[in-house]
Amino acid sequence: MKLWYSFTKELKLASKSFYFYIEIVMAIIILAVVLFAIPENFSNSRTEYLYLDMPEAAKTVFINTLLDEDTDGQAESVDVKVKKEILSATFYESDDKKIYIVDDEDTLIKLTEAKKQLGAVIEMNETGDIHYKYYLQGYETQRLQNLYMVIHNNDMLTLETAINAQDVRPLSDDYEVFNDREHTIPAMLTFNGSLMGMFIIAAFIFLDKEQGIIKAYAVTASAVWQYLMSKTLVLTITSIITTLIITIPVMGLRPNYPLMLLFLITTGFFASTVGLLVSGYFRSMTKAFNVLYLLIIFTMLPAIAYFIPSWEPVWIKFIPSYHIIHGFKEVIVKNGDTAYVLLASLGFLMAGALMFIWSNHRHKKNLTA
Amino acid sequence: MITVKNLHHSYSRDEKYAVKDVSFEIEKGEIFGFLGPSGAGKSTTQGVLSGLLQLQKGEVTVAGYNVKHIKNKMFNEIGMSFEISNVYNKMTAKENLNFYRKLFDVETREPEDLLEMVGLGDKGNIKAGDFSKGMKHRLTFARSMINNPSIWFLDEPTTGLDPAIAATIKDIIWKEKKKEVTTFLTTHNMHIADELCDRVGFIVDGELILIDSPKNLKLQYGEKFVDIEFVKDGEPIKESLSTIDDKDKARIKNIIDNYEIQTMHTKEATLEEIFIKVTGRGLV
Ligand SMILES: Nc1ncnc2c1ncn2[C@@H]1O[C@H](COP(=O)(O)OP(=O)(O)OP(=O)(O)O)[C@@H](O)[C@H]1O
Ligand SMILES: [Mg+2]
Repeated sequence: MKLWYSFTKELKLASKSFYFYIEIVMAIIILAVVLFAIPENFSNSRTEYLYLDMPEAAKTVFINTLLDEDTDGQAESVDVKVKKEILSATFYESDDKKIYIVDDEDTLIKLTEAKKQLGAVIEMNETGDIHYKYYLQGYETQRLQNLYMVIHNNDMLTLETAINAQDVRPLSDDYEVFNDREHTIPAMLTFNGSLMGMFIIAAFIFLDKEQGIIKAYAVTASAVWQYLMSKTLVLTITSIITTLIITIPVMGLRPNYPLMLLFLITTGFFASTVGLLVSGYFRSMTKAFNVLYLLIIFTMLPAIAYFIPSWEPVWIKFIPSYHIIHGFKEVIVKNGDTAYVLLASLGFLMAGALMFIWSNHRHKKNLTA
Repeated sequence: MITVKNLHHSYSRDEKYAVKDVSFEIEKGEIFGFLGPSGAGKSTTQGVLSGLLQLQKGEVTVAGYNVKHIKNKMFNEIGMSFEISNVYNKMTAKENLNFYRKLFDVETREPEDLLEMVGLGDKGNIKAGDFSKGMKHRLTFARSMINNPSIWFLDEPTTGLDPAIAATIKDIIWKEKKKEVTTFLTTHNMHIADELCDRVGFIVDGELILIDSPKNLKLQYGEKFVDIEFVKDGEPIKESLSTIDDKDKARIKNIIDNYEIQTMHTKEATLEEIFIKVTGRGLV
């Protein structure tokens, strides 16, 4: 009951505080950036430019397969304007691909370069061996390049083993599941929702410390843990609000919201207890700043790894924010790995509980500081 | 109601004690004054007694509770007014009290009544952040009474208040005493200590030097003092001197012989003068 009173009071105070609005404004800024600055780049209409360097008979077979999948069953002759030059191509459109077939390799290179899309030459010699030549943009990851190599330049047996050996975790370039915009969401949620909670709770507590509020609380028949818990609850509420501000407009009804809520609560709880603990060891925000700053850097590393899939050292998995980002990813992706999210939630809940006990102990010992 | 035996406290957890081997007892309904210069260890002692600081060495019981293992329940019987006011600046005076009262399991007083008592009756709906220092201090003081405490810790309750309001606070403490409230009072204000306290303790550098009632102290150190105002090199000078102390007596003679006396009257020693005499230290 006292916890409830403390909680409602904290909620009221938070709603009057500056930090609360910073968090909301941050969420809105992130939403704006995600919606307007990051192109959606729909993966299900990926564009490819192809030059078929093969005997006429083989070409017909290939084109017929394309026509079978084509949405209107017809090839279209199109002229593509590239730097004042008009290049002609034949255009096929299926549900998940736009394919332009051109008549020579030179045109292919020009188009690939101008449109920043994948270009490929498919060669078939008289004996029926197929050889692929890719024109990439230069920024594709090594993993993607290797993948192309594996798929097209080895025999089928190696291919199968290679595919089976592939890491099942979706890569960033796995555009079957995410568009670019959605891909940024897990990292945004991690920072704005869970980790902001860590700093804001510390800020709230330092503010209270400055005013001597904790001392006043400590000489009541209510326990210090209830004070700490009420702060944690408030932070959880704000992180739920800010998360929904971002996810609903971008993802609509696709994410598994109950699962997301669970994950938000457990990770938010964990992050807040980190903030609680830090605030128990210092007198003021300024004194705690070095530690908080290191924590920011530390928790950013998994985000960097997330955006650069080719850089993912093993030790990064020991940083909690790694699992927050990947957990969120599983939450919002279609058919995500629910077991992983549940396990991670349990982990964060338990780690949070331990940290909470520790910080309660610390704060109780340090009431006059 | 309060017993303290061989209390030691060190902030650095070593031999540098802020409070050293302090022992005393306070009876039910008694007002006990803790007097000492700044940094003497008054707030530290009060911190340990009220559970804000961990009991490191010694034995302390408050209202029958062992302070070594504090139970939240104990605070239902305790009221504490802080040296530095600590209220929620973002909440009004009334909201502050209304929230605070919910943190106790016992019957609490009406915030309006308490605010009225400390002269903030018409300021209940103003944010504490907009209060003056003195007003905040009174709010903190009012808050300490909300749970009808039987043990009341007051750390400098009148500091920074104008004399009229300080007198009001003094009256409130007096009234509470009639309800058998046990009070531990820390103050620099010797008049208040003199008028209110049943007994006072003198603490200097963490050590409790003496405990007695103001009345006994005056009897014991009850020598007469003379206030002399005289003119030296055209400047008016005022001195307060003992009529017993040899050095002071010589000084009086010297003044009478050499300077033009303006006023001169004897008076009873004040608690402050006794403190200086006993401890060899001033009160600030
Ligand atoms: N939080 C703290 N950490 C370290 N030392 C402290 C702390 N609080 C007080 N001290 C030291 O302990 C000693 C006693 O301080 P205390 O606050 O008890 O004095 P006080 O008698 O209440 O003084 P005042 O009249 O100024 O309020 C002082 O030397 C002070 O510097
Ligand atoms: Mg003090």
